[in-house]
Amino acid sequence: MIDKLTILTIVSMASTTYITRVLGYLVLRNRMLSPRMMSVLENVPGCVLISVIAPAFVSNNLANLLALLITLLAAIRLSILPTVVIGILATGLLRHLIN
Amino acid sequence: MSAALYNLEENIVDVLQTSISASLQSNAKNEFVRGIRAALPVMLGFIPFALVLGAQAIQNGLNTIEVPLMTGLNFGGGSEFTAMQLWTSPPHVFLIVAMSFLVNSRHILMGAALAPYLRHLPKRHAIPALFFMCDESWAIALSDAKKQLSGVVSLPYYLGVSASLYLTWVLFTLAGALLGPSIGNIEPYGFDMAFTAVFLVLLRGMWKGSKVCRPWFVSLAVASLTYLLIPGAWYVAAGAVSGLITAALSGEQN
Repeated sequence: MIDKLTILTIVSMASTTYITRVLGYLVLRNRMLSPRMMSVLENVPGCVLISVIAPAFVSNNLANLLALLITLLAAIRLSILPTVVIGILATGLLRHLIN
Repeated sequence: MSAALYNLEENIVDVLQTSISASLQSNAKNEFVRGIRAALPVMLGFIPFALVLGAQAIQNGLNTIEVPLMTGLNFGGGSEFTAMQLWTSPPHVFLIVAMSFLVNSRHILMGAALAPYLRHLPKRHAIPALFFMCDESWAIALSDAKKQLSGVVSLPYYLGVSASLYLTWVLFTLAGALLGPSIGNIEPYGFDMAFTAVFLVLLRGMWKGSKVCRPWFVSLAVASLTYLLIPGAWYVAAGAVSGLITAALSGEQN
């Protein structure tokens, strides 16, 4: 049985999400951008990505912080796949050992 | 004589056109496969989260049709986890929609930053393609575009990344829904570090020295403080916006 209110919630939520995905593109698509606007946009990827992962930097768990440090060092030298594997293993092991 | 020449010319044009379109097609196929390869490490990170989300949704009273419906139509992990945390029976539609908007408001900035790299695409291609824009597909496509000679997003590459991530997310949230509570708590295993790892490598690729990247540190500090002090999902928006204000102000100085 499918619940009507559940479907309404899902469809409204999904439409809202889709609007956020196309809005920035639709607004800027045909604009000539000023150099300052370009330099602000250049900073979007870094500022967004680092904000998304910020909670990891202020974890109150020692194992998580140490694992973050190891992952950070791996990320400086290695490509995505080895960094992911090292990150997962370091986090799992340290949580096992410390917690 | 001239008719024969004309025929020959037409034949040559024909052959050229076929070979150009064939090479474009094989190029598109290669680009699509290259996208799938780039997505592989991220898929590894998606799977455990998708399983947990599916299991949580079932515990909240959603069924095995509604779960893939949600993850397939919405395709945004952050907003889906938030929705599951806020889920009541019956669900509070407005609250969930408002929180989804807040969690996903970063997409507006992301789409704006991507717009200059999508200039070569007609709107009718870009608009549906943006349905698949998540943090990972966006960051991978954008950093690839900056490395390419063309300097724009390769659509088949982006679609290769997107298709891999989308199918992984929808299928594994369904698997989580089917397996249900037997999944248990996977937190001790460290899979949650996968996203941080992916993002750190992508950030490394964008690093241009600590002076140029000063807005990042402002974002990190503000997002961290907001996360610690204000409950809910405000930290991403607060961190991103404060970093961009820093960028705008320091642009003024130069």
